[in-house]
Amino acid sequence: MKPNFTQKVTNWGNFPIVEKEMRSEDSFKKIKEFVLSHNEVIARGNGRCYGDASLGENIFSSKKLNKFISFDRINGIIECESGVLLSEVLEISVPQGYFLYVTPGTKFISIGGAIASDVHGKNHHSEGCFSEYVTEFKLMTENGDVITCSREHNTDKFWSTIGGMGLTGIILSAKFKLKNIETAYIRQESIKADNLDEIFRLFEESESWTYTVAWIDCLQKGQNIGRSILMRGEHAFRHELAENEAKSPLVLKKKFSPTVPFYFPNFVLNALTVKLFNFLYYKKQSKKEIKNFVDYETFFYPLDFVNDWNKIYGKSGFIQYQMVIPKETGKEGMKRILETIANSGNGSFLAVLKLFGENNTDAYNSFPFEGYTLALDFKVNSKLKQLVDQLDHIVQEFGGRIYLTKDSMSRSSLTDYLKNVNSSKFVSLQHKRILNNK
Amino acid sequence: MIVLGSTSEIAQAFVEKALQEGERFERIYLFTSNKETTERFARHIDVKFLQQSEIIELDLTKEINYQNFDSVNSSLLFCATGYLGDGTEEGLYDNKNTEKIIDINYSKLVPVINYFAQKFESRRSGTIIGLSSVAGDRGRQSNFIYGSAKAAFTAYLSGLRNYLFEKKVHVLTVKPGFMATKMTEGLPLNPKLTANPKQAAECIYKAFKKQKNVTYVLPIWGVIMMIIRNIPEFIFKKLKL
Ligand SMILES: Cc1cc2nc3c(=O)[nH]c(=O)nc-3n(C[C@H](O)[C@H](O)[C@H](O)COP(=O)(O)OP(=O)(O)OC[C@H]3O[C@@H](n4cnc5c(N)ncnc54)[C@H](O)[C@@H]3O)c2cc1C
Repeated sequence: MKPNFTQKVTNWGNFPIVEKEMRSEDSFKKIKEFVLSHNEVIARGNGRCYGDASLGENIFSSKKLNKFISFDRINGIIECESGVLLSEVLEISVPQGYFLYVTPGTKFISIGGAIASDVHGKNHHSEGCFSEYVTEFKLMTENGDVITCSREHNTDKFWSTIGGMGLTGIILSAKFKLKNIETAYIRQESIKADNLDEIFRLFEESESWTYTVAWIDCLQKGQNIGRSILMRGEHAFRHELAENEAKSPLVLKKKFSPTVPFYFPNFVLNALTVKLFNFLYYKKQSKKEIKNFVDYETFFYPLDFVNDWNKIYGKSGFIQYQMVIPKETGKEGMKRILETIANSGNGSFLAVLKLFGENNTDAYNSFPFEGYTLALDFKVNSKLKQLVDQLDHIVQEFGGRIYLTKDSMSRSSLTDYLKNVNSSKFVSLQHKRILNNK
Repeated sequence: MIVLGSTSEIAQAFVEKALQEGERFERIYLFTSNKETTERFARHIDVKFLQQSEIIELDLTKEINYQNFDSVNSSLLFCATGYLGDGTEEGLYDNKNTEKIIDINYSKLVPVINYFAQKFESRRSGTIIGLSSVAGDRGRQSNFIYGSAKAAFTAYLSGLRNYLFEKKVHVLTVKPGFMATKMTEGLPLNPKLTANPKQAAECIYKAFKKQKNVTYVLPIWGVIMMIIRNIPEFIFKKLKL
């Protein structure tokens, strides 16, 4: 039997699904062969972008680039290959008293994916994007050469690759800094907000907190628009912990994580269940304000607790719609967006609101800029395209843009913001779609 | 720990599993014909587990210098050395292919294991884990050169187990079925019958701890191979397996 590398590939939203060639190699020589022998190549990490960003004619999977290279335990600098997942970094760094400076809402993403999307976390306003802590990386370029990029060397490629969505080459390995922690726990406060005015005020009041984020019940209308829970947190110090946890403050107990065994049938997730979920989520917290300590997994990765949760959206898949709107007009824009969603009846299970801080102007391909960002999950159905179009219209009007790593159907005027990434070799389906729709 | 075939993903997953379970070795000896890939792994386990290792070149297609192995001592040997080669359709009448398959899977490999078995025997302790294959359970038209070498290897391990039993050395035969590894990348394998290296490592580690004699990585393979072994020859020869 001759190997055939063509297979069905899809990312986290299960939309779109394509049948393309996907290969993985772990030696530079073989990766070079792959790059040189194909006209169009795109790198793929763990497929946790939602849409078509890491899909292409010939996909190079970084799955086999999964080794650690070095760990300077004194200065907290780690180097690993690009397919290593954040979860694997945490596994070795947390017991040593180190945490990732910046982490997205899932730890199952690769280092290559973190750089190519320049991911942000709950601390963007205080600590910026992932790239702030990357000191260097190795990149394979169009002709198969391997170059080392940093703030001093190959600076052009360094900054265009950051947030460059894989369009500048294949990231092979990277070196980045970790932050010191005393414990694996977070001191957390959760505060209920009745409406948009209140949540915006809470965000601005919480600017001195390292981590802030809010969950919005996005089916509310009128007075209740923006009903939400703000969560803010700080890494806990050892002396703050209860006796039990303080004994071995950097080690968490093993938890059971259930797996969604199959795609849920279509009727499971409808407007009613979404409404119920949001209602319960909000009501679960009966007090106005709760202060407690939670482990880092609960705080940063509540969704990772259930494996394959994307299957609850059924076989037709779902999208995540994430935009940012400048701060000055943010409130007005969010209001219009939430109204539009509530009126569409196309509910979102998950809606996360966050205030971004100033952007790093060197990292010109990064998505975040100062303003409000909202991320919403929508099941793919016949009405979705129309809703996305309405939302795009509002985002455009308010001078915002869409996060490429989650995009699969937004208008190109909102996603066509990358610079210095023109290559005929490294091409994704997303990039082609954007160029074709211009 | 001695690892033969250190670039094997199953071997690497097994080493990681053992280290994760808290096992520590004075040194892990990584035998390999591919230094580059093995160096990556050596660094990886050093970063992850602070585990020291040493890389030793072993190319079964070449003359072997046993003096290089003098200082190698351990109570656990994991052998994942193997070579699939071309199947019968492409490779049957290609003698180079046939020789290489037999050398790497059996004839050149056995003396190396014997060399270490002797050390184990004289210490009167230890475990030898050998990866054989379900392909060795019965010769099938699609890959019987590989299968026959593995069948010989299975018989060798079984005899070695018998021989070393009194000498307090244990031998474990592992028969992975379809595996999602480099060896099979791009082949259309049934996902229900296919295990990944991590799953294999867990199963092997359990079998090692329980001192099992023979283990299939996925239990279903035990059943499948029992059926395949028991099909009468006059029917079997007509099947397209
Ligand atoms: C539950 C969930 C929560 C999330 N929360 C956040 C969040 O809070 N903040 C945030 O910023 N993002 C978030 N994301 C998105 C996720 O962090 C990004 O999509 C990330 O890039 C995914 O990484 P990956 O390894 O899965 O890469 P993929 O999804 O496979 O690829 C993403 C992009 O990176 C490129 N790429 C991947 N590997 C390489 C490489 N080796 N070299 C060059 N290019 C490469 C691909 O071409 C593609 O353009 C979330 C995703 C999920 C599923």
